Amino acid sequence: MLYPDTVEGDILVHKPWFVASMFAAVFVIFFALDLTGTIFGDLMRPAIGEPSQSGLYGRFAVALVTAILFVLNLVLIGFLPLGAQIGVVWVELLVLFLSFFYTFNLSFSFIAQKVPFMVTQGVFTTLYVSAVSIFIASIIAIIGAVAKLSTNGFAYAIASFYTSFFRGLPLLMQVYLIYLGLPQLGFVVDAVPAGVMALSLCYGAYMTEIFRAGIQSIDRGQWEASRSIGFGFALTMRKVILPQALPVIIPPTGNQFIAMLKDSSLVSVIGVWELMFLARTLGQKTFQHMEMLISAALIYWMLSICLELIQSRIEKHYGTRSSR
Amino acid sequence: MTYKKFLTGMVAGLALSLTAISAQAGAVLDKVMKNGTITVATEANWAPQSFINDKNELDGFDVDVAKGIAKRMGVKIKFVTPAWDIITAGNWSGRWDMHVGSMTPTKKRSEIFSFPGVYYYTPASVAVHKDSKAKSFKDLDGKVVAATTTSTYELYLKRDLTIDAAGVPEFKYQLNPGTIRSLDNVNTSLDDLRLGDGVRVSAVVGSLPSFVEAKKNGYPIKVLGDPVFYEPLSVAIERGDDELAKNISAAVTAMKADGTLSTLSKKWYGVDYSSTK
Repeated sequence: MLYPDTVEGDILVHKPWFVASMFAAVFVIFFALDLTGTIFGDLMRPAIGEPSQSGLYGRFAVALVTAILFVLNLVLIGFLPLGAQIGVVWVELLVLFLSFFYTFNLSFSFIAQKVPFMVTQGVFTTLYVSAVSIFIASIIAIIGAVAKLSTNGFAYAIASFYTSFFRGLPLLMQVYLIYLGLPQLGFVVDAVPAGVMALSLCYGAYMTEIFRAGIQSIDRGQWEASRSIGFGFALTMRKVILPQALPVIIPPTGNQFIAMLKDSSLVSVIGVWELMFLARTLGQKTFQHMEMLISAALIYWMLSICLELIQSRIEKHYGTRSSR
Repeated sequence: MTYKKFLTGMVAGLALSLTAISAQAGAVLDKVMKNGTITVATEANWAPQSFINDKNELDGFDVDVAKGIAKRMGVKIKFVTPAWDIITAGNWSGRWDMHVGSMTPTKKRSEIFSFPGVYYYTPASVAVHKDSKAKSFKDLDGKVVAATTTSTYELYLKRDLTIDAAGVPEFKYQLNPGTIRSLDNVNTSLDDLRLGDGVRVSAVVGSLPSFVEAKKNGYPIKVLGDPVFYEPLSVAIERGDDELAKNISAAVTAMKADGTLSTLSKKWYGVDYSSTK
């Protein structure tokens, strides 16, 4: 809901036509998928006998029962208050997701043995690289945004060339270009600085545009009023424009932080032992790729959730003006 | 004062990085000896040549060979793990001094690298389905034979194979395939072969170790006859430092002579690949 209001209406999942059509659709899908070979078939064993020999009857019965459970779940969740609905659906999706991983027959002892190293070496490097890059990118973005808004031809040309170039190339290619290209000019940079440089330049370009748009969203009158009472450029920016632009800038910048965290995985190609690199290599010897990939995926996800929470807190802080 | 210091530091740093790229004869060796450490590039993704072991350290055949070379040169060793295409791109600019990662010394590569020490040979063999009636290579005449695209195996089938390294044994083109099927990698070829004898392909040319590994993992294949050629695999360094090449070459020769290489090969592959038989 965009804004909570007081208009009352029937809940969608309690309307008979919706429940009926939902049931029909789910039943058809489950019937077509044939769930007898899955865990649902096993659970239905008392009713249908050996799942693999139950034939069309078994297929029908399993699809019917799972469809009934599915729709029942939907209707029951409809009775809950909003907060509980969100919580229950989250938990259900999470359980489904984890049970999906569980069916891969993963070796948990192997995961337990490797996770400490993934955290101390991989997560540490990932966080360190992303934090440094995001810091540099923010500084580049502020300078770039001001330059793109200035009436100075050189500043505008340089800034717009920069954003166009670095937004126009794949990040992976930038990593290669910087790592392999800079030594040709006489600067031999190590893998980590090269990666940080590529990430900062690429994200700096995106964030330049975000900052510029944020600044431009402030009404022209604000600028004119500020100038007319004798404020200079810097003072106007600091005291009038930026404080109002921040609430506009924060949400997309938060997105950039999260994206950066995951894109830092691209520096694994130049041999930085961060999380993605370890995920790809640790399980190689024993053919346990899946274990490592899934563990790393969950770690990335948890890190992103932390950033999401921080972002929503900051948004709340800045959003107080528009709420009632 | 401090500003001046900073400036001098900058200039010195720039000069240092400039000297690093213009490698003179002996320059890399001098650097290695001065630091007492040789930096070796290898992959971390290629068991059993080089991979990350239980203790989260690099381990494997290539890694052991690199350690042996460093030991005989009397220096400590440090590993870096860039991706394969970064290594083969050349222009190492002093980031690492040597590559020990089972590189085949081809003509193209020898334009930018020199190959001071061949330390083992991968036998190239022919695999057929286990139900295949083929008894010799003659029986495969006119059949469909698969190999990895742009690999030496494909070049062998096309009768266009040159390996320019010292000590490559003579080989003859023994196969007359009707069709050469070029596939993405050796596993795709083997997946085609496992469908049945002649269903998609009748035989696959590839490295013997990969066939042995596949057989261990339940692929219904067998190796036909003796290896058709041997592919040498070598240490690689950037061209231009003959002194370093001489040192590495001596170390590899010593390891071959005292049986270290054959022991290591048996340890990692179960078979002695350190020489051709």
